Amino acid sequence: MNHIPRIGIGGPVGSGKSMLIERLVPILAEIGYSISIISNDVISKEDADRMRTNLATKRGLLPENMVIGLATGGCPHTAVREDPSMNLSIIEEMEENHPELDLIIIESGGDNITTTFSPILADYFIYIIDVAGGDKYPRKGGLGIVNCDLLVINKIDLAKLVGANLETMKKDAEKIRKEKPFEFINCKTDQGVKEIVDHIIHDVLFDLPPKSIHTEKVQS
Amino acid sequence: MNIDEIYEELAVMQLSDSFFPTGLYATSNGLEFLFSENKIKGVEDIKNMIKVNIEQQLGPSDYVALANAFESAKKDDFKNVVQADEIAFIMKSVKEIRDASTNSGMQLIKCVAEFVKDNDIFNQYQKAIKEKKVHGIFPVAFAVCCNALKIKKEKSSAMLLYGFTVSVVGAALRLGLIQHLEGQKIIHDVKPLIIQTLKENSNKSLFDMWQFAPQFDIIQMSHEKMDSKMFIT
Repeated sequence: MNHIPRIGIGGPVGSGKSMLIERLVPILAEIGYSISIISNDVISKEDADRMRTNLATKRGLLPENMVIGLATGGCPHTAVREDPSMNLSIIEEMEENHPELDLIIIESGGDNITTTFSPILADYFIYIIDVAGGDKYPRKGGLGIVNCDLLVINKIDLAKLVGANLETMKKDAEKIRKEKPFEFINCKTDQGVKEIVDHIIHDVLFDLPPKSIHTEKVQS
Repeated sequence: MNIDEIYEELAVMQLSDSFFPTGLYATSNGLEFLFSENKIKGVEDIKNMIKVNIEQQLGPSDYVALANAFESAKKDDFKNVVQADEIAFIMKSVKEIRDASTNSGMQLIKCVAEFVKDNDIFNQYQKAIKEKKVHGIFPVAFAVCCNALKIKKEKSSAMLLYGFTVSVVGAALRLGLIQHLEGQKIIHDVKPLIIQTLKENSNKSLFDMWQFAPQFDIIQMSHEKMDSKMFIT
């Protein structure tokens, strides 16, 4: 079966997981990448509904049925780590019925700093935190922060307001992440979002063009 | 105890473990809707819910499908395994419950396929799921897996009803309806009901299958329409 590259995005409640997706998808879609989103939610399908409205209904960046909400029985980490069977079952259906997709983004339900994605579920794992949780976050470590492929630190515009020192966060992230990348962003203004897109295109899509463009070239 | 018995017991433990990845932890079987409507409170109500479901739905339907599929699998009669799959699928009138059952069944087969390679019926069933010739409904998938792992029919049947009980109790705990010690007491108290249900429905054919719990059908259908929910059923 055709394997569609998958990115898992995890992070605490309110860190900006859905917002990051809402900022990434328009840039990727403009290049021509075809994307589907699976939004795991602890208590509702509100995030999925919002992304469907904002990205599909209003802007037509992807079909409405390509945004799927999944209730996780109150166990967000279980759904993406110990027992990813429900997510995998949706992905298998996607891979069978939508081989044209370039990328599947899986958003985990809001969780804690030990969140990780099962490697069978996600090929690439982005963990997002925000400065409002305090500048201690990178220093605290945790499986998500330490092991993810890309650490994203969001809401940097709020740093001064909440007394978070970005320099401290940078030094701690460098120390705890060693060679692995991390980025500071502000989803409200798109600051730093392009860098995340670059990571995705390079590290997940291996700089390949969208399948639609590639197919056109082959046919011509 | 001989080696085969120990092997069987270990297989029972593995498939019965809530750690086994079939997605059942995300099912409440309508409990979440009852909770949201403030129509269920405490231990006795939960026990009653489990009782109604086991006596009126799982016992005469899922268990009979499992038992028949198991016997057919044992006799290498794939045609009747397919028939059990079809009838068990049709018996589930609520879409959300039906979808959850097929998704769990398919994931169960996929997981067991990682370590079962040499059972013909299992391989045929897995192939038929891929080719969309069977639904992969949970009780039948469970029978096929248990037979492949040499777990006896009686134990497989008890595991099915036990698994349902644990999923409801787990959902009740996460909803805050009960505390953890009460949960274990409920599981213990349900044991005689499981044994009684197995006795009452043993040796029934696929054509004796029935399920009748209209109020629960409505409850489970109402769950489909909830805007905000933690569980898939």
